[in-house]
Amino acid sequence: MISMNPIRSRNAVPRGLVRRVFPGAITLVAMIVILIVCGTIQPRIWSQTGITLILSPIVAMVIASQAQMVMMSIGDIDLSIGFFVGMVTTIVATILPDTPTLGFLALGASVLGYTLMGALVQLREVPSLIATLGGSFIWLGLGLFALPVPGGSVPDWLSSYAFWTPPLSIPVSVITMLTATVITWFVMQRTGLGARFRSLGSNPYALIRSGGSVLRTRMLTYAIVGILGVLSGITLSAEIGGGDVNAAPGYTLSSIAAVILGGGVFTGGRAVAWGTLFGAVTLGLLTVLLTLLNLSSNLQPAVQGAIVIAVLAGRLVVERVVK
Amino acid sequence: MTIKTSNASDRPLVQVSQAVKTYGHTRALSGVELQVNAGEVLGLVGHNGAGKSTLMRLLSGLERLDNGTVDIGGMTTPGAFGFSGVRMAYQESSLAPELTVRDNIYLSSARWLPRWCWHKAAAESVVSRLGEIFPDHGIGPNEYVDDLPIADRQRVEIARATITDDLKLLILDEPTESLSGSAVDHLYNYVRKLKATGVAVILVSHRMREILSVSDRVAVMKDGAVVSIHRAGEVSERDLLLAMGGEVLVTEANATPFGPAIDGGRSVVVRVPMTTVSGEATEITAREGEVIGLAGIVGQGQEEVLDRIWHGKRGDIKVDATRAYVPGDRQRSGILPLWNVDRNLTISALSSLSRHGIRQFDAEELLVDKWVKKLNIRGGSRATITGLSGGNQQKVIAARAFASNARTILLDDPFRGVDVHTKAELYQLIREEAAKGRTIVWFSSENSEMQHCDRVYVLRAGRVAGVLHGTEITDNRIITMSFAESETNAA
Repeated sequence: MISMNPIRSRNAVPRGLVRRVFPGAITLVAMIVILIVCGTIQPRIWSQTGITLILSPIVAMVIASQAQMVMMSIGDIDLSIGFFVGMVTTIVATILPDTPTLGFLALGASVLGYTLMGALVQLREVPSLIATLGGSFIWLGLGLFALPVPGGSVPDWLSSYAFWTPPLSIPVSVITMLTATVITWFVMQRTGLGARFRSLGSNPYALIRSGGSVLRTRMLTYAIVGILGVLSGITLSAEIGGGDVNAAPGYTLSSIAAVILGGGVFTGGRAVAWGTLFGAVTLGLLTVLLTLLNLSSNLQPAVQGAIVIAVLAGRLVVERVVK
Repeated sequence: MTIKTSNASDRPLVQVSQAVKTYGHTRALSGVELQVNAGEVLGLVGHNGAGKSTLMRLLSGLERLDNGTVDIGGMTTPGAFGFSGVRMAYQESSLAPELTVRDNIYLSSARWLPRWCWHKAAAESVVSRLGEIFPDHGIGPNEYVDDLPIADRQRVEIARATITDDLKLLILDEPTESLSGSAVDHLYNYVRKLKATGVAVILVSHRMREILSVSDRVAVMKDGAVVSIHRAGEVSERDLLLAMGGEVLVTEANATPFGPAIDGGRSVVVRVPMTTVSGEATEITAREGEVIGLAGIVGQGQEEVLDRIWHGKRGDIKVDATRAYVPGDRQRSGILPLWNVDRNLTISALSSLSRHGIRQFDAEELLVDKWVKKLNIRGGSRATITGLSGGNQQKVIAARAFASNARTILLDDPFRGVDVHTKAELYQLIREEAAKGRTIVWFSSENSEMQHCDRVYVLRAGRVAGVLHGTEITDNRIITMSFAESETNAA
């Protein structure tokens, strides 16, 4: 009970920071290793076109993973993000090109739908898993209603962004990924809103006693998840050149895996934007690696799963040693 | 919300009158009268359930009254941020462990920090405030709270409460429970400093000596009311204990021998090594057929003792028999909400009732019928458990433990908030089961319950403060013993 306070240097890197950054750093190393292996097998990926080719399919997944990360920072889990992204692609491919105003209104309404889902979770004490699972069927239904079979076309401004060749040979996909990550990181770590999100995940009483509203905070979280989901959907439409509600159901579980790889925790309170970026890119690059190794891409989920389990087990071992 | 501008010096800062607050069956506050003046330190003492925490929650604006009025500096209803100028340092921390010290400060004091670029300001304010209160602290603003030792968390919690521009009333709830000697002195020096600047401080503590040395006046709460207010200079520890309902014979209570039970015939089934408040080795023992009580102020190690017995083999605990555990209402960990009463009741007994791993439904049914009838559980065996009242749910959970074939039953304050009638039924059940040779170890926050025990151990700071046998077990003696302090532990 009584412990002398060891004198700690105030400028030393806090242990807690190391513990929080470490998993993402490990994932970054894994990502670099995979890139190098890919580059060794196929040196042509070391070009603007090459990098664009392997990273473009991952961009939407990165943004969806950031959405999941925001959700998990308050201790909730989103099982609807995959179909939500799919539904957004159908709106982008049908309403947006001809009637932009209506299209943006529809996208805004989707964000509002997410916000209301947050209110439902808070007010009715529905577990987020259940509420978002229900939500996923709503998104699927709305998406099928908007666009029963894959198709449609994306607005011109969107395709011209996708085919934009930025200066200095930086691939456009890298720019989009980094922008999404920097913005998410800024909101979660540098603003008061982010501090409130994380406190809701860590200790709701801290939030309540400081005069904050749990309902409002949860609704804002879901709104931000919705906005990121919309951005992910727009990016995905640009990538596939149309809309398909079934384009990305796999995002739901892969995004959770990406957050965990990046150092997120199911219990909430942690926001790891950079780690999530590395996690999502690592998972995406696995497909490339399997293709280059001439392994069936049908094996991909199994390999992804094995890697997630291996990383988690490795992290546990290392954390025990560090402690 | 009415704000009067008059600041007549004769008007108290805090004026509580006729404050009444009830939760279900429990009357937490029954007409509290209290005044606190600016520039005054008011000590607040009372035993479990006296209403201290409810009153503090009321003053910090987290609770609304059922009846009566509160007036703090002219404000009669709390706003979104409670009463203006009132800040509280909580006993169970209100810090978010996943956040850094700096982010926690922002969370709680955002209104007094810049809207943007608050990071530096929050870090600076917490470092300077910590330095002001605890000059020898070593806490960095970028450290995560879950890395801090408990004493440092308490330091941050106290500093957090004081970071505001308009502090009028500071409430400290058991601030020194986890602080060591010099930190305690530093804190009280700071309290005196605040007092000199006209801030009122309410100090809730179980440590009588600290209360008496720091406070101007001491208010004693009992059964949801302030029963007496004393000038700190004119009152002794003994007077305060007496006012709380304790017994005057402090010396006699301390001298109660730590001997073995009178009847040595039956075998000892539970043996937990402990130390007394003065540091000598002792044991908590329970014999077959005994009802053993664990009493004292809540959170002084009673649940740890139950936990040690429950986990059995660890360390030097001796537990012979099979065990069953009855959790309290507070945790709500006991019920399986999707199951009916019958399934909830038989879950612990299933293995003994089944044959070769196959359930014997008729035997289960017999058992359920027996207990539903015996404890008079309303709704019968088929009712959904969540449809039952809290009291009836507790009956089911108790019945589950007693329906198993466990020889030792651990009770973790299970009757808190249960109505009187149900309680009486359960007390009788406990005595009956003990008579059949079962051993019962029972932690209760209600001292009057303890008279159903054969022997009661009163705990203080994880140590045994005293043992009471049979007719010695009275509210008064338990209260007196709960406040026992060893000489080395004194502030």
